[in-house]
Amino acid sequence: MPLETEATAEIRALVADLRPDDADMLEALHRVQHRYGYVSQEAMYVIADQLRVTPAHVYGVTTYYSDFRTTPPPEVTVAWCGGPACRLKNGAGIRDAMQAVLGIELGEDTADGRVGLVAGQCNGSCEQAPQVWVGERVVGRLTAARAVTLARALRDGADPASV
Amino acid sequence: MSDAYDALRERADAAWAAWQHPERPRIDIAIETSSLAGGAGDTLRALEAEIGRRGAAVDVGRVHGYGLQWLQPLADITWPDGTRVLYGPVTAEDVGLLVDEATGLVGAAANLAVGTLSGRRTGIPPIADHPFLAAETMGRRLLARIGHTDPESLDHYIATGGYFALDRMLSRHQDPASVRQLMIDANLTGRGGAWFPAGMKWNFLAGAAVEERYLICNADEGDPGGWVNRVLLEGDPHLIVEGMLTAAFATGARHGFFYIRNEYPLAVQRVRQAIADATAAGLLGDNILGSGFSCTLEVIRGAGAYVCGEETGLISSVQDGRGMPRVKPPFPAAAGVFMKPSNVNNVETYANVPLILRNGAEWFRQAANPAGTDIGTKIFSFSGDIARVGFMEVPFGVPLAKIIEVCGGMVGGGKLKAIQAGGPLAGYLPGSLLGELSLERAPFSKHSALMGGGGIVFIGEGSCSVDLNVMFSEFLEEESCGRCTTCHHGNQRMHEVFSRVAAGGGRNEDRHNLELVGSSLAYSNCVHGQASPTIMRNTLRLFEREYEAHVAEHRCDALRCAGMTRFRVADQSDPNLPAARDICPTGAIKGEPGAFEVDDSLCIRCGACTDLAPRGLVREAAPLGTAVPEQRVPKPPGVPAAAGRVPLSFQTTVIARPEGGMGGPPPFRR
Repeated sequence: MPLETEATAEIRALVADLRPDDADMLEALHRVQHRYGYVSQEAMYVIADQLRVTPAHVYGVTTYYSDFRTTPPPEVTVAWCGGPACRLKNGAGIRDAMQAVLGIELGEDTADGRVGLVAGQCNGSCEQAPQVWVGERVVGRLTAARAVTLARALRDGADPASV
Repeated sequence: MSDAYDALRERADAAWAAWQHPERPRIDIAIETSSLAGGAGDTLRALEAEIGRRGAAVDVGRVHGYGLQWLQPLADITWPDGTRVLYGPVTAEDVGLLVDEATGLVGAAANLAVGTLSGRRTGIPPIADHPFLAAETMGRRLLARIGHTDPESLDHYIATGGYFALDRMLSRHQDPASVRQLMIDANLTGRGGAWFPAGMKWNFLAGAAVEERYLICNADEGDPGGWVNRVLLEGDPHLIVEGMLTAAFATGARHGFFYIRNEYPLAVQRVRQAIADATAAGLLGDNILGSGFSCTLEVIRGAGAYVCGEETGLISSVQDGRGMPRVKPPFPAAAGVFMKPSNVNNVETYANVPLILRNGAEWFRQAANPAGTDIGTKIFSFSGDIARVGFMEVPFGVPLAKIIEVCGGMVGGGKLKAIQAGGPLAGYLPGSLLGELSLERAPFSKHSALMGGGGIVFIGEGSCSVDLNVMFSEFLEEESCGRCTTCHHGNQRMHEVFSRVAAGGGRNEDRHNLELVGSSLAYSNCVHGQASPTIMRNTLRLFEREYEAHVAEHRCDALRCAGMTRFRVADQSDPNLPAARDICPTGAIKGEPGAFEVDDSLCIRCGACTDLAPRGLVREAAPLGTAVPEQRVPKPPGVPAAAGRVPLSFQTTVIARPEGGMGGPPPFRR
């Protein structure tokens, strides 16, 4: 365990009420990610210590789930819905168009750290298909052309709430 | 009844009476995942601002949407006389009309009216007469409160009969064995798609040798296109809480976990709220309603792993680990969470429990398919190329043709090409079977498919089966936990082959290799691997000609597959061509007005140009040998993104043929 620092003390306080063998691992990771936007290596050490497991175990859990990040998040994350209802309405074209505009693939961030593209999961708002999430907000009934406009605006620094 | 319950009921009845007959008109906005996606948050803010600006004598409330999701955001008005009318879609621009209507300008919002929820109003039919609800022949049982109550109100739940059955069971000191038997008599089966009798599962847990045991509610509804559990969790969370409490009493469990997928944050919030409210009211925790029975519940939020919907994967995830399924036996009833006896049921299974406890097994059995094999009502969600997307509750056995009819038919009057029920593990059947299919298990299994957990996607003729297989196999590969080589490599191969076929590189041996992969997937440890070839097999058997056209003739009739289509300027006079040139993300459209052309080597077939210039540009079949844009080819696993694109030739995978020639799939051995 590395030396206690101000940062690790803060993480420790965040998970202080969680207990070993009490089904608390996901809760710990969610709290850390909610607070910092990702699960850092030092957070993994703190969680391991708190829950009495090895840091390798925490790393294994963190990287197993697609919703946890191990690197700082981009300014805005665009989640592309890969569900069937979206696919029927040119979902693949929307993905390819955004990838081409941003020069990244799903799971990557732009080099300037502005925009990230991830695969989202269907949550049953399929009347909006095809859709993406810009941050928490759904942008539905998309076309590939609108996706290009949206991706360009985000790439060029537009306010995510306005696109 | 217990005194504690009577006191709760008295308070609840007063709140409910005030909700049904408010002192001044109240406008309820549907607040749930689908309505929020449709802009209900904006509607709510605009409504509050409008009421404030006018100083109108109108209150604002909250409900869950009624199920007519294509009309989101849904809203309703309740007048002091108890009349209640559903409206939709109510956008932020429409709130003024609703306030007008609520405050007495009758007819102001008439164009938005969908139906009356209670009472009568001239010119507006009762909601039950809405064509979308014509298949709900048994009425709404599980969905009885949806769209009527505030899902965050414990009072509303209790006043509409909630916790009544629980209190009666506890105050009469009912025998737990009789509760389990009741579920067996009712023939309540697992709603997640496996249809195992819930009462038998409970008997396994009740008979466990260890005192410490757990209940789990599987709310990891991961099948794309299915959102049955979400509706219950967001719309009536106390119903699930009561169901779990009943199950805990019947099985001797004293602690339960809700495992809710991370994609349902509002469900997490509402269930946590319900648990807190129930605990504060003495309906959860120690000595529930003074009966001496104690039980606690907690919510665990998933983190994006489809395979955690498999019960042993879910258990691994709960106990602080990676959600990897393990080999059964031991079954969860013997060794589940923390190796203690556990029972996993689906959200909808638990939701049926309070209804059966209250109304009896005979009542539950009234709803059944004609053959009497599938008992009860079931919530289904319908999506895809249909005019009306939404959810409803029907008895088993409703013909799918009837469902398409109530869903307003296929978009644009097109033809039904395929039916995808139950998510990526369940099946893919051609539209020509529509006449044979109904919402019950048998017709699906007859064609080697499954009905699944309630999500049904109707696929129109504009789609390509190979393209859809690329999507499903990609999902299955991505969501494999990685433990079994058969599963993680098998699904990789399947994805690779379908991607290559869609990219125009299909080979004659692909079909055999796919079938070989399918047969080896049967040896996977869990149902994820075992069932993952289902859609592929359905496709090869029932859509054989379409698949063969891709491989042998390099033809995608739906013009979806990138490797077999191209874009071409068809009409230079289209004034939208400059806009199409500017929107192209790869700069593939070149030239000036009158002389535009598409550079095929740059085009990624995204379709942005035809969105803007549908007349000027066409997507058409590409001649054999058209260069395939590399972007379409998936990277092999383990190659970091920074390494860039990998040439197509590296993607080739040779699957060894079994000795003695092609042969058939190996026999399944136990």
